[in-house]
Order: sequence, then C-alpha cells, then structure tokens
Amino acid sequence: MTALEKEPTTPAQGEPLVVLSDVQKWYGDLHVLKDINLTVHRGEVVVVIGPSGSGKSTLCRTINRLETIGEGSIQLDGKPLPEEGKALANLRAEVGMVFQSFNLFAHKTILENVTLGPIKVRGVKKADADAKAQELLDRVGVGHQAAKYPAQLSGGQQQRVAIARALAMEPKVMLFDEPTSALDPEMISEVLDVMVTLAKGGMTMVVVTHEMGFARTAADRVVFMADGQIVEENTPEEFFTNPQSPRAQDFLGKILKH
Amino acid sequence: MRRTAAALLGALLATLVIAGAVLGLAGPSPTQAATQAATQAATQAASGQDEDRRVVRVGTEGTYPPFTYREGSGEDDLTGYDIDVIEAVADEAGWDLEFVESQFDAIFAALDSGRIDVIANQISFNPERDARYALSEPYTYSQGVIVTRSDDDSITSLDDLEGVTTAQSSTSNWAEIAREAGADVQTVEGFAPAAELLAQGRVDAIVNDNIAVLDYLNTSGSDEIKIAGEAGDEGSEQVLAFRKEDQALAEEANAALDALREDGTLAEISESYFRADVSVPDGGDADLSGGREGRTTWEAVQDTAWPMFVAMVKITIPLTVVSFAIGLVLAVAVALARISRSRVLAGLARAFVSIIRGTPLLVQLFIVFFGLGQIGIRLDPFVAATIALSLNVAGYASEVVRSAILSVPKGQFEAATTIGLDYRQTLRRIVFPQAARTAVPPLSNTLLSLTKDTSLASTVLLTELFRVAQVSAGANGQYLALYSVAAVYYWVLCTILSVAQTRLEKRLDRYVA
Repeated sequence: MTALEKEPTTPAQGEPLVVLSDVQKWYGDLHVLKDINLTVHRGEVVVVIGPSGSGKSTLCRTINRLETIGEGSIQLDGKPLPEEGKALANLRAEVGMVFQSFNLFAHKTILENVTLGPIKVRGVKKADADAKAQELLDRVGVGHQAAKYPAQLSGGQQQRVAIARALAMEPKVMLFDEPTSALDPEMISEVLDVMVTLAKGGMTMVVVTHEMGFARTAADRVVFMADGQIVEENTPEEFFTNPQSPRAQDFLGKILKH
Repeated sequence: MRRTAAALLGALLATLVIAGAVLGLAGPSPTQAATQAATQAATQAASGQDEDRRVVRVGTEGTYPPFTYREGSGEDDLTGYDIDVIEAVADEAGWDLEFVESQFDAIFAALDSGRIDVIANQISFNPERDARYALSEPYTYSQGVIVTRSDDDSITSLDDLEGVTTAQSSTSNWAEIAREAGADVQTVEGFAPAAELLAQGRVDAIVNDNIAVLDYLNTSGSDEIKIAGEAGDEGSEQVLAFRKEDQALAEEANAALDALREDGTLAEISESYFRADVSVPDGGDADLSGGREGRTTWEAVQDTAWPMFVAMVKITIPLTVVSFAIGLVLAVAVALARISRSRVLAGLARAFVSIIRGTPLLVQLFIVFFGLGQIGIRLDPFVAATIALSLNVAGYASEVVRSAILSVPKGQFEAATTIGLDYRQTLRRIVFPQAARTAVPPLSNTLLSLTKDTSLASTVLLTELFRVAQVSAGANGQYLALYSVAAVYYWVLCTILSVAQTRLEKRLDRYVA
C-alpha cells in the first residue's frame, strides 16, 4: 500500500484492528477513562491529543495492558486482551510500544536491544536477528552506532533505536506514548521523520503527541481527549480548521497562538 | 610475598572448583565429603579391620595437656594420657575408635545428641553425672588444688574463694566446686587460657586438678602462678562417660580397665606422662620434671601456619563459597517474595528477614547444630554450619537484592514486557543484570562478613582455620602469635575478595556513560 492510495480514504480503511468498547478506569476515586469507544482500523494512523491529565497516555497504555481497565473490553484483531501469563506476553509482542523516556535496556548494546525480542520471544536465529536488526537500525539512521551502549547516544538517536526495537517484533500495531516530549527541539524532527515514513508505509499507529505538525502530515484521524473522555474525533483538516467542541477550540487556541 | 599471594589465589581457585563440585553433587555425597574433612576422624589403625568391630566415637578436647592434646601439626597426632587410655581400652574391648574434637562446654551436648559415644576428657565423677550417664570406673585419681598469682598470698583454701573471681570451664566439676565455695566463675576453654587470665590479673584464682596444673607449670616455665593450696580434702576421680542407654559399652570399658590395671598397662601409661601412677588412689605426687618441652613462639607459628592454611583451604573457603552461593539464591527468592503481590508470600519473607536479622548468628548456629540434634535431626558439622550461614546470608542479602531490584527503573520492566518477554525472562535478561550493578558493593560486604563469620563454626565441632589456631594455642599457650597468624589469613582472604569486587564493579560499570 502506497501513500497515494492511502490519502483519500478517511476516516478508515481495512478491518478493525484495535477496538475499545465502553472502557472505564479508575485510580481510586478518580475516574480517569470514561466511556471510551474507539476503533483503530488496519493501516490507520490515529493521533490522540489533549491537555495534560486528560487520560490520553493511560488510554494508549491500556491497549497492551500496561494499564488494566475497570470495565468494558478491548479487542485486538478480534480477540480480547488476555489477562496475564504467556498469552499476555504473546499479545504484547504483537503490539509495538515507544515510550516518552525511550527505556532502552541500559546494559545491552544498541544491536542487542533490537535483537533481544526476536531471539528470546520469537526464537529467531541470532545471525538472522542481527542482520534484520542492522537493517532496521540503518533505516532509522543509527546503523553505525550498533555496538554502542544506549548511554552513549543522544536522545533522538535512542528514540529511533526504540522504534527499531519495536519494529523488529513485526508488530500489528505501534503505540507511541509522547515519543518526542523528552527530546531537545533539534532532535524532535529526526524522530518525527521516522514516524512519518512509517505512517506512509502503512503501519497501524496510535500516537499520543503534542506535535500538531505530525498530526496534520501523517494522521488519518485526530482524537481529542479531555477529562478522561473522547470529546471529539475528526480528520486532521477538519479538526484543526473547524473544531466543534468548546474544549477543543480552547485547547487549539492555546497551543496554536504562538 | 608475591609467591604467597599467587599460592593463595591458586588455592582459592582450586577451592572454588571443589565447592562447585560439592554443590553439584546431590544426595548424601556432600555430607560425606564434609564429614571427612570436618571431624578429623582419626580412625585407629586397628589390627584386622573386622566388619563387626564396633566403631566408638570419642569426644575429647584436644586442648587439655597432658590428657588430650596435639603434638606436632599433622592430623593424626592427637595424644595424651586420656587418649592412650581409651586406645588401650579399645584394643582390649575390640572397638574401632573415631575421635571427635569438641570444646569442653559442648562435649556433653555432643554426647546427649548422639554425635559421640563416649567422653575421654578427665571427666570427674559426681552424683549428678552418675545419675544421668553411664560412667566407667575411675582411671585417674587426682587432687583438686587452688592456683593463684605467685605474689598473692591471700588465697590458700576453698574458704578464701568467697567473692573472688575464678576461671573455669563452665561445665567442669571444678567450676562446681569453685561456685559452691562462693566464687564468681568466669568461663574459659581449658586450663591454658585460664592460666593466661590469671597471669594477666583478670581473675584471682583457678581450681583444677594438681596434675594439669603441674603439667602447665612445667611446660610453660611460668613463674607467674603457683599452687596455693588444696581444694578441700576430697580427691576426685576421673571416668569415661557414656550415654545411659549404652550401659553395655560402659561395662565393656570396665572389664577392659580391670584387665589393663591387672597387666600393668594403665600404670605404664600413667608413668609415661606423669612419672607417677595416677590410675590408683594416692599414687604419689606427680613428678613432672623433664616432661614435654615448651615451644618457642617461632616454632609454634611454623608448626601451625601450614595446618591453618590447610584448614582454610579445606573448610573455611568451601564453607564461605557454598554458604554464599546458597544464601544468594535464597536471598533472591526471599526478595522476590517480599515484592510479590501475594500478601502471604510477602509476610512470610518479612518474618524470615526479621528473625534472621534479629537473632545472633551464634544462636542460630547452635539451634541448627545442637538444637535440631535433640529432636533427631543430626546434621554433620559442615552441613549445619552451611545451613546456618546460608540462612544468615539470605536474611541480610535479601534486603540488598530487594532494593537493587527496586532501583531498576520501572520503564525497563515495561519495555521488556512490551517486546513480549515474560516475568522470568524479564528478571533474568533485564532486571538482574542491571540490579547487579547496584547490589555488588553491599553484597561484597555480606561476603566479607561471611568469610569472617565462618570462624563461629569452630563452636560446632568444625575444625576450620580459627579452630586450628585455638587448638594449637591451647596446647602451647602462644595466643598472641597464633591468633595473629589467623587474623592475617582472614585479612589476606578478604583483601583478595576486595580486589575481585573492584574488578567486578568495573566490569558492570562499562555501560554507564
């Protein structure tokens, strides 16, 4: 599937891949996710935006069960999320995750960070995993750093390695939890470039971000959250030029002012 | 010095290999290996190794010359009057002997718990012992005396002991006599340390039998202490002590003693040690002139340095390595239990840590060795020491491991689970390697403490490095020199471990920018 084919087909194409139905979550008395209904289709790029504390990161983390939910259901590729054990580990291998703070394995080299999952979880031979990892690292532009340790790389480089690590598992969907929030400004674009390429290549993505530029360029749909609820969802064009809810208008007014 | 260090390193490595082998073996084999190494069993080279000859285990101090002591430095040269007597009895009665060295204060506990079958250690007859044990007829008759500093004329009889401090083995008959006379009894191990305390002015008197005192004066050449008077007019009689249910053994011993008395063997043995026959009542004053010669400090060090090294390599280091390895595995299990979501597991782990950290290691060791022995769980000394030390290490190290695990950022767990690693893989591949970096310095502390704590195993019949020094110093009185040599051995061992720690830390630090 090419970028050209993808362009006109909004809001969705392909069958549903991630389906959240009536999801509720509480932290004690705090109702952090309220009545969440969201369907992400195969090949779709969904950008989740909203003010701090709106529950967008929590929503993202429920999809691979880093956060449990109180009520409702989440299905991945037609199957409900397993609760624990081997089945859950298998599910997580199908869902790539990129964290705000990179979370590269500090005691392993860049190459080992990328090959660990394929070797230990998928049972790929080391030579094959190494070759695949090197190719992925080359693709995200850090191939020449393969023998180094994470602490020797810049933040932007580390985040690109984290993306390569997730891709090495050949996931069905990639989750990005504020992937550029911890980066210095000059490094943000090198990470976004990789993500845009990935989006254009047809990867199914759920991206929690404050990068409105990325949302405009790469998203098929923008989901706006506030106070644990999905307040509004629309195409990027519609959302940014003609937001419907007062909350979204207020939010966009603040961030687009400068 | 460099050669010594190289030799030590070599020995350390060899021991690691041995310990690895011991760890790898299942079932009774480690126990067996440890028994051989630990109890210094000197099976008598009996004529004709008949299958049905009874093996009798003899408990004795080995630090109480001239009755039971070591001459020279080899493993098979336990000697003394009591040793010769029991060997003659065994010959006569058709027993094979196995000697188990024990401190006097633990010797009756060892008999009670079935670790030994008989005590040959100048056990004085008294009614309490007669009621509790099967005692043989006497083979020594001696007179109790009071010993004081040479310049002290204030104490000459039992009446003068009221309120003064004496040094005695706490469970000995002499301690009983001193206590009844109103003395404040300080507990020591054997006569030589008591004499040392007296000479140093830390106690005022000693009550003991004339023979031991004369022998000490003779061999030490000391003029700092003297025999000041008799301890009452009762002489004492020394007997072999068996368990009550082994009455038959006691009777075999009596028959043998009669025969030996009859044919003059007993008198002969006595003469060879005391130049007097102490095996009959009023055998005359013991003449000890020209007896065993005292040893110079240098000779004592030369004689003992090698046996101490051997004990370090054969017992101290394996005990340390095995206990640390087992302790560490337990520590990880306890740490994981403490941070698990199961309240029961976490509670049990917390209780374990609290008990281990809240009780003295020496008490734990005694419970495992002597305590369990009483309810029929008789552990080999090496095994008992390993269990106590492992549990102790586990108690302390589990807290180190727990905090090290918690110091690994949560994001590392999350990243590991999101690429599909399960709990075990996450711990093994991601968490433990990173936690190791945090844990190495405090765990090294635990290891150094353990290395030195193995010396406590000397109290449960394990002849490790320190016990060898104790036995030797007890025989020749060279406390300062021999304990200093022991200290140097421990120090060298710990220094080697510290160097290893530094290297390991450097290796683990490689990924930190």
